[in-house]
Amino acid sequence: MKLYSLSVLYKGDAKVVLLKAAHDVSSFSFFQRSSVQEFMTFTSQLIVERSSKGTRASVKEQDYLCHVYVRNDSLAGVVIADNEYPSRVAFTLLEKVLDEFSKQVDRIDWPVGSPATINYTALEGHLSRYQNPREADPMTKVQAELDETKIILHNTMESLLERGEKLDDLVSKSEVLGTQSKAFYKTARKQNSCCAIM
Amino acid sequence: MAETNEEVAVLVQRVVKDITNAFRRNPHIIDRCHMHPAASKPRLYHCMEREHGSSIYKMRKNQQRRLGRKELILSGTLNPIKDLHLGKLALTKFPKSPETWIHRRWVLQQLIQETSLPSFVTKGNLGTIPAERTQRLIQEEMEVCGEAAGRYPSNYNAWSHRIWVLQHLAKLDVKILLDELSSTKHWASMHVSDHSGFHYRQFLLKSLISQTVIDSSVMEQNCLRSEPALVLPKDEEAAASTEEPRINLPHLLEEEVEFSTDLIDSYPGHETLWCHRRHIFYLQHHLNGRFPQSMTQLSPADSPGGTLSDLHLIPAGSQLSQAMEVDGLNDSSKQGYSQETKRLKRTPAPDSLGLEMEHRFIDQVLSTCRNVEQARFANAYRKWLVTLSQ
Repeated sequence: MKLYSLSVLYKGDAKVVLLKAAHDVSSFSFFQRSSVQEFMTFTSQLIVERSSKGTRASVKEQDYLCHVYVRNDSLAGVVIADNEYPSRVAFTLLEKVLDEFSKQVDRIDWPVGSPATINYTALEGHLSRYQNPREADPMTKVQAELDETKIILHNTMESLLERGEKLDDLVSKSEVLGTQSKAFYKTARKQNSCCAIM
Repeated sequence: MAETNEEVAVLVQRVVKDITNAFRRNPHIIDRCHMHPAASKPRLYHCMEREHGSSIYKMRKNQQRRLGRKELILSGTLNPIKDLHLGKLALTKFPKSPETWIHRRWVLQQLIQETSLPSFVTKGNLGTIPAERTQRLIQEEMEVCGEAAGRYPSNYNAWSHRIWVLQHLAKLDVKILLDELSSTKHWASMHVSDHSGFHYRQFLLKSLISQTVIDSSVMEQNCLRSEPALVLPKDEEAAASTEEPRINLPHLLEEEVEFSTDLIDSYPGHETLWCHRRHIFYLQHHLNGRFPQSMTQLSPADSPGGTLSDLHLIPAGSQLSQAMEVDGLNDSSKQGYSQETKRLKRTPAPDSLGLEMEHRFIDQVLSTCRNVEQARFANAYRKWLVTLSQ
């Protein structure tokens, strides 16, 4: 079971801003790592964009599960994991991180922040520690306060999109993805497996 | 090019050495050869030529094709250990590659056959155990399999190779089986949907059972020949004089059940975990009915140390006679049963205590779980248990 990325974002009225991110791409082959990282950023931003404030959701895409929590104050967090990682722990992690972040970083900095300007360094440590869910959260088995029935489940990324919107278009328009990543996506798409990195 | 066989052999040996050194200097070289996983080995070497920028590979690539690796090994030109090392590196990129695994088994077979040194040695009370060299080979293969298993989910080829090594190199040595059981536990807990990984644990337990039953019948023979007093597993002195170290099978199976419970509770909604539980439960009740007839006839008065149940191998008295009756059941009149159910019917019925505990476990899961899949699997497990006791 694995965690691939952990990001903190701000859901502005106009657009979604990435504030800080941590990645673990060690399981991907050397050549693919930067593309994978870009895609995870792209995905995280897209998911937050399409999720309402005050909601939690899990988006499934092949072997990946993206868990998102958008708070009422527009602060959001996304965890990208594999399908073995327990979602309950993923949401515990998101809650914890956003809580800590909001105490360490001033609210004024959120709408205009970027990974370069934001001063929050705990993300890498959290990602690394939570790779082993039982060590990080020994109370995993205990009933969480979180009401799991309220978590929205999406079976594909496509279900987040508006009618008529195509993921292909969003990918090619994206500013987050480099040329190589976009080419990668096209090839993977042809093989009928979106982002089939594994 | 009119080279002699020897010249070709020398060239090829140098090629392999170069490749190995190249890998050693830069393990990521193989990553930069971004090819389709089905690409063949000659292409791999060709790609390395591109990366490494040396034209020596081009020339030798042709020669490589003329002399297959098997011929090279058989002629003594290519060191099998080096070939294994190269294979290990190839597996980091192509962890599933069937040809690599098949070739690997061939090489290992050559290694254990060709040597004049024995693969197994006798060691006092412990009977025969693998020689140190064999142990090292085994350990290396365990590592290679472990890495490959981590690179691709449910890597059947890697796990079946692992099993093959235990069967053919380790000859199902009990100590090695036990070591493998404990050393793969953590991995399994971090790969809860890896069916092949859990199947491996089932194989280990099944092998331990079969190896111990063999020991028991040997022990039983010794028993009958010697003193009337029963040799109890708990009796330390008696254990030392027998052939193999005593292992507590029911305890091992109990531990595995606890492990399964722990995982099912922590990680709801994984079918693999429930399948694994079925296998363990089946092994448990299968074990209960399997013990040789003569042992069951001993009354408590015969055993100096304690009661029959202390032997851990036989369930409390009454259930045993019940088990014997079930053995005689004729099920040919019933149509439409699956193979598994037919097989299960031939074995004794599971003891009621065990069944009761399982039903309680299912109840507990169903009452606390919030995962739809988990509930589905729990109910399916309940249905399966019911068919067992019919």
